[in-house]
Amino acid sequence: MAVYSLRRILWESYPVLVVCAVISLGAGLVLSSQTESINALPMILMMVPPINGINNNVCSILGARLASALHMGMIEPSFKRQKVLKGNTNATWLMSVGVFWFTSAIFFAIALISGRGVGQSIVLMFAFFVASMVAIAVTMLCTIGLAFVSFLKGLDPDNVVIPIVTSIGDIMGVTCLLIAIKIVIGV
Amino acid sequence: MVYKVNVRAIVIQGLSILVLCALIELAAGNVMERMKESLTVTLPALIVMIPPLLDLRGNINGALASRLGTALHTGVIEPRLSMSAELKVNLASSLILSFLASATIGILSVGIGALIGKTVHITALLVIAISAGVISGIILAALTVLVSIVSYKRGWDPDNVTAPLMATIGDLITMVSIFLIAILAG
Repeated sequence: MAVYSLRRILWESYPVLVVCAVISLGAGLVLSSQTESINALPMILMMVPPINGINNNVCSILGARLASALHMGMIEPSFKRQKVLKGNTNATWLMSVGVFWFTSAIFFAIALISGRGVGQSIVLMFAFFVASMVAIAVTMLCTIGLAFVSFLKGLDPDNVVIPIVTSIGDIMGVTCLLIAIKIVIGV
Repeated sequence: MVYKVNVRAIVIQGLSILVLCALIELAAGNVMERMKESLTVTLPALIVMIPPLLDLRGNINGALASRLGTALHTGVIEPRLSMSAELKVNLASSLILSFLASATIGILSVGIGALIGKTVHITALLVIAISAGVISGIILAALTVLVSIVSYKRGWDPDNVTAPLMATIGDLITMVSIFLIAILAG
């Protein structure tokens, strides 16, 4: 007996991939509308994959953990105070603070090496850090909400929640990054 | 069963893999910054499809990694590098999806680029989307099989280790493919 059917995998995955592509194209659209900022500070381009990639990784891990906890009955699908939910969000939050501090510090070093003053390098470092914290907070909320919805509707979290969360994460990451940079460099 | 959330263990485990991912993402960012000319001047609509192409790679390979993880744990696929029928179906589906979805992203980006009034080089954009999607798809499919088997044998958690690692390596390989093909396509 064949366990996997090619047709079934294609049929189930393609629509989700297209929905995600359309959401992520929103992130591309935001980027393409801000070419002035990018020309003024090309380093923005270097910040895009890290802010999106890390945001998506952190929230994918949270999504997978929540899906397992929901299926094992350790979390109820509601936003009220629950120990296991709180533990998971705290862990996710601490991880993001740690990894984004690390990344921000690297951007500080890169800015300094590429000939910017200490003051401007610090400003860029903080802009990246604050943008990533705002992006991750919103994406985490979406992850929790989508995990609950998919659990209640019986959708597979691996195939639905994580792809959609990463696409929302793309928009949040790019938007927060560009707003933060606009505030600090004024272009 | 008493289930305790060990915040400290999650954070320590997660952070080590995330720091590695951050370094790989920085390399991808470096490639993207080097493409500034193509992204803003020569092929201005190209930037629109970078987030969806990176995201697509993570989605297809994340799903492949999670199916392989389940298949390995349930014994449907054996942890050996041999082509079983199940492995073939999984690989074929991820490659067909890479092709179909990258083509869709290419077409949508061309449409969006035209709508927002950017100069659109239809052939160049479609060629970049499809070939970057398929080339990175082939490399990543092979890597995913390898990493899934290794991580199964070593007992790494597929959710916390394999999936983030594959998504991140996928970003770098996709960025490099886009970069090289954009140079070739002029």
